[in-house]
Amino acid sequence: MSKIIDTLFANLTKITAFLVLLIVAWIFTVLIDHSMDAIKAFGFDFVLEDKWAPNLEKFGALPAIYGSVVSTFLAMILSVPIAIGVAIFLSEIAHAKLKTPVGVSIELLAAIPSVVYGMWGLFYFVPIIRDIFGGVGISMLSAGIILSIMILPFMAAVTRDSMNTTPDILKESAYALGGTKWDVIKDIIIPYAKAGIIGSFILALGRAIGETMAVTFVMGNVHRISTDLTEPATSIPVTLANEFNEADSELYFSALFELSLLLLVISFTIISVAKFYFLRRKRIGR
Amino acid sequence: MATIVNVTQEKALEVKEFEFTYAGADAPSIKKLSMPIAKNSVTALIGPSGCGKTTLLRSFNRIHDLYPGNKYKGEIIFENRNILDHKEDLIHLRTQIGMIFQKPTAFPMSIFDNVAYGLRLQGIKNKTELQDRIQKALQDAAIWNEVKDRLKHDANGLSGGQQQRLCIARAIAVEPEVLLFDEPTSALDPISTAGIEELVVALRERVSIIIVTHNMQQAARVSDYTGFMYLGELVELGRTEELFVTPKEKLTEEYITGKFG
Repeated sequence: MSKIIDTLFANLTKITAFLVLLIVAWIFTVLIDHSMDAIKAFGFDFVLEDKWAPNLEKFGALPAIYGSVVSTFLAMILSVPIAIGVAIFLSEIAHAKLKTPVGVSIELLAAIPSVVYGMWGLFYFVPIIRDIFGGVGISMLSAGIILSIMILPFMAAVTRDSMNTTPDILKESAYALGGTKWDVIKDIIIPYAKAGIIGSFILALGRAIGETMAVTFVMGNVHRISTDLTEPATSIPVTLANEFNEADSELYFSALFELSLLLLVISFTIISVAKFYFLRRKRIGR
Repeated sequence: MATIVNVTQEKALEVKEFEFTYAGADAPSIKKLSMPIAKNSVTALIGPSGCGKTTLLRSFNRIHDLYPGNKYKGEIIFENRNILDHKEDLIHLRTQIGMIFQKPTAFPMSIFDNVAYGLRLQGIKNKTELQDRIQKALQDAAIWNEVKDRLKHDANGLSGGQQQRLCIARAIAVEPEVLLFDEPTSALDPISTAGIEELVVALRERVSIIIVTHNMQQAARVSDYTGFMYLGELVELGRTEELFVTPKEKLTEEYITGKFG
């Protein structure tokens, strides 16, 4: 009897696990299926074409790709140094009494829903950007900054956790040779935690590139490639969030699906690199 | 009162009325402890777990200062100064008093860079000088022959015993006056342990050594002086051959004959 229950239970868990695989496969299939019209119509030109004109049935994804890449790049440039600074402070410098409250507020920041960041960004932050940098405020720059604020807590928390895995005895060994705090941080803690830190940055990158709500508010959904960061722009998720309601033709609908397929592939690749390359190496490195 | 043998030779360190209290603790972990540490000798500290021997050892290079709130009292005299003074330059102190830990602590870098680490912290950049001093340190730590062909390899690829000798090479490369060993063989197999013990005996020609050990046989094998500690106090400090054969204190006798511990 107990053996039957065991087998039953084993199979039940197996089903739940395969269900996840099934869902991933299902999503991919649906996306590919719905994208077929656009893929047939535009081929590889879809990612090279910079005109997005639904009324002319012309769909080029380049402005959205450009916007995704640039806003994410901006976000990373702004948040990486701050995240490292916060993590160093929390793991090595802050007094024990300060570590917990600051650490908890960082984690709270990570718990804020992205739509809240978007609203705050639009009504409070965008006017500040407009006053400082000019333009209308709704822009690539605003999107990059909001994204950087959004991914910062995750990056800081994971970087801190990685740094905290450095064994005390290893740090003490470096201090025992006459190292200063700075020497120990740069020579021991950061190299020791490096794989985990880079892994967390890449995961954050993946999150930034797929982020929708926060940037939809502040980016503007303008399909134009501009080197001026104060100009409104668009990204793949912003386009999707704004235009599904309006997709009045088969081809328009299909083009949006192809965009989402593109986004999925990009995110998938980024997360795979993070998980299988960096986060795995850390495990072996023990 | 503790029975302390008269150390006639030159002293490396002199502990006077030393007290140590951990952050947040009510009572001191080490109480009014006084003892001399002979120069160019090996002094072993033995005693049951929690007796304060590691706490005392970690006071000599003030590694306790990494954690806020720990309190020292009394004096530890080294080179005519009290190293517990708040004006003591800890970075400099730790280049004079080195430490080897319970577990091998190879840094995540190459074998060469591990040994170069302390030297580079002191600002030595000259390549030939670095190479010479690293080779000498590795030879003195009896590991040169095993690593000379793979100096650029990651130090974490070495065995535990090799890593511990690498850590010793790293510590002696900066030419300290005193070396502190905190149960250096507790994570090692018997053969590696024998290697480290030989090294400890050989090194006393050049440095004064204090070694904390759980293993009384090890203390008997490697040390010139042995201090027996119990409940934060020094019970007896004697010449090793005398302390293990004719202990002066009853408590010492009971401990070394295995009545408690």
